[in-house]
Amino acid sequence: MADAAVLIVGAGLAGLSAAISLAKAGISVRVVDRAPRPGGAIHRQPLPGVRSIASPAQMRRWAGVMAQVERHRARIEILCETGFGGLDYHGVALLTGKGVALFHPRALVLATGARERVQPRAGWTLPGVTTAGALQSGMKTTAEAPKGRILLAGSGPLLLAVGAELARLGSPPVAVVEAGRPFSHPVTAMRLPWSYLTEAALYLARLRAAGVPVLTGHHLTGITAEGQELLAQIEGPKGSRSLRVDRIGLHDGIAPNDLGVPDCPSIPVVRLGDCREALGARAALADGLAGGERLAALLLGSPPALATPKVDRERVAQGDLAQIYAHDGLKYLATQPAETVLCRCENRSLADLRALGPDPTPRQLRLDGRFAMGACQGRFCAEWVGRLAVPDHAPLMRIGADRWPAQPFTIADLVDAPEDV
Amino acid sequence: MQNYDHDVIIAGAGIVGAAIAYHLAIAGLRVAVVDATGPAAAASGASDGAVSVASKKPGPMARLANASLLYTRDLAATGPLAGGFASRPAHIFGTGGAEIAAMDALIEKLAALAGPVRVVGDGPASRLPGMGAGIERLVTLDGEGHMPGHKAVRAYLATPGITPIWPAPVLGFDSDDRSVTLRLADRSLRAGRLVLALGVSTAAVLPGLPILPRSGQLLITDRGPPNELSGALTAAAYLVAKTVDAPTVPLSPVVLDPLATGQYLIGSSRENHGDPGTVDFATLRSILTRAVSVWPALRQRRVIRAFAGVRAAVSDGLPIVGPIAGDNRVFVATGFEGDGICLSALIGREVALMLRGLAPEAGVAADLARLSPSRFAPALLAAGAA
Repeated sequence: MADAAVLIVGAGLAGLSAAISLAKAGISVRVVDRAPRPGGAIHRQPLPGVRSIASPAQMRRWAGVMAQVERHRARIEILCETGFGGLDYHGVALLTGKGVALFHPRALVLATGARERVQPRAGWTLPGVTTAGALQSGMKTTAEAPKGRILLAGSGPLLLAVGAELARLGSPPVAVVEAGRPFSHPVTAMRLPWSYLTEAALYLARLRAAGVPVLTGHHLTGITAEGQELLAQIEGPKGSRSLRVDRIGLHDGIAPNDLGVPDCPSIPVVRLGDCREALGARAALADGLAGGERLAALLLGSPPALATPKVDRERVAQGDLAQIYAHDGLKYLATQPAETVLCRCENRSLADLRALGPDPTPRQLRLDGRFAMGACQGRFCAEWVGRLAVPDHAPLMRIGADRWPAQPFTIADLVDAPEDV
Repeated sequence: MQNYDHDVIIAGAGIVGAAIAYHLAIAGLRVAVVDATGPAAAASGASDGAVSVASKKPGPMARLANASLLYTRDLAATGPLAGGFASRPAHIFGTGGAEIAAMDALIEKLAALAGPVRVVGDGPASRLPGMGAGIERLVTLDGEGHMPGHKAVRAYLATPGITPIWPAPVLGFDSDDRSVTLRLADRSLRAGRLVLALGVSTAAVLPGLPILPRSGQLLITDRGPPNELSGALTAAAYLVAKTVDAPTVPLSPVVLDPLATGQYLIGSSRENHGDPGTVDFATLRSILTRAVSVWPALRQRRVIRAFAGVRAAVSDGLPIVGPIAGDNRVFVATGFEGDGICLSALIGREVALMLRGLAPEAGVAADLARLSPSRFAPALLAAGAA
């Protein structure tokens, strides 16, 4: 087993920087990613023949990572278009897609990044409504902005970044609806790293130049379809109004994209970057490098690596950002119409949740309510179902334990997978 | 009786405990149901819900299952199981000598029972469109049924007169000639009678009871067209696995259960341990390899969840039901190893009669007597003395 490679899931900043650290220590790694090319969400690469829209700073960072990967190529194998089905009790991993195999790695690194949170509101599952991050991914791969009137709504710095990108590519949003009041916390803002402030200033300048209103302290509370158009209901300090648009990008922050891999008694399993703690790109790079060093030390029996002050600094900065963007939008969750969908996989609504009666147990939520029972295993709905089912439960009620597999896989994949041990 | 907190306490809110509670409550007794977690939290909730006579070992188990199926249909027609039980066909498939012989034995067994489960088809697998080419023989049965465990448990426990007490792990009990006391973490409850229906956990309260945890891995697919398959597809190897030790089973004893949602529940392995965390690709692969050979349309389905359920097995393959030796206040109803859903209605009725000091129904009395814990009395006494 000592000769087997370490399996790294996710070829983004955290995954590849962990690969570099492990390779430097003489340990072979196999990195898998579902996307056609490495990059992850932050450095998503354009389609062949399309120019990159990344900023010079972003391009430099990614080129630096890839140069290191090339330098250690003898020990780093990257399999794209390859999914991760899960790790079993005996430490066997199922890889699906192009790199399909049953693989027995020496250790597992999960570096699957963050996922976007979207608070359920009426109409959020209508065609034309996506996450803001999905709009951004589309622009990164095609270098084109979607057409039509676009509204960005929710909360968090990503809304400004996506809005600025839309403006730069010639399709400025009709508005950015931000639930928080990020400009009303100058004291906290001054504690942020300089790069955060210059980045924000650049986005705001682009939005202002394109005449895009940034409505802070406003909430997008519901969406209805009227013919081909979407009617967005917006609540603000001075009352409600509605906007007619063609597309809506929602974003209510990010959370670790933890796949719910249970602990394995057979091999070490570590989570690095945003998939452990959503701290953004700068932390992901530092955490991947340091986490790779720590894992190498563990596997080789050498002294553990040092602390990671960079990650600590980003944790403080993200804590400040969370304060700056704090808002009370959660109050709109329970007042949504009964037919509002909570679980997309199984199409379960607020009415279905209420039908379970007061104080449902996690088991009732799953078996009777069918919440968290679909393909995503509750990765998206569990947070909101938990908040609604037991509003004053602290910490948030968990609907079920870590479950298996990590990602759905086709039966053919498992039946046909070659053994690669 | 007035000094008791409850006439009867039932430890265990699985399908067996819930069925007993229901039958006591409709007889006017004050019943408490205590559970460490809540309703259907262990094997009953993880089950596929098959109410199957075909899969029972010939002899007392098959006869009791037959009687329980008839009674379950009554309870579904007018009683608490309305909407919770549905009749549906069952398909048994087999390839090779051992499986074909098991199918012959099945047909003989069903003819001898002369019950509601009848053979309505027997021949090549091509009778059922969609079956894989390598399957030699297919027997189709009519009259079996399906009852999701967690729904039936809830339906039983909704009966007036039942006091639910959970989450409350059972620490132990004491009994004398006047009452029995159940010890919980924060209090004790006094009752006239106690029933231990705790599945695999029964042995923790009553050491010496030969209960063995047996784990089975199951998986669930994503949704597809509903009613692709009219009823469960069961390998004849499963019938063999229920009668002998697992290592001699010729092929994977797979069961494909089409759910109302258009998903499939596919199981299961039989492993002699009680760790529900041990799900592994090698075992799932062996289950799925046989499953796709039978039903090739499965190949493109996705597995969305896999898990292990732990069942309570007994060394001699029969459940343990009745008063424990030398103590007529304490009763046991456990060790059903996957047959609890099917047998629960009958066992609920009969244990309620025992608790009330009434005679069992004549037709099942002899078979029921075979389940008595008295068959292990020396072992129990030895454990008590230790």
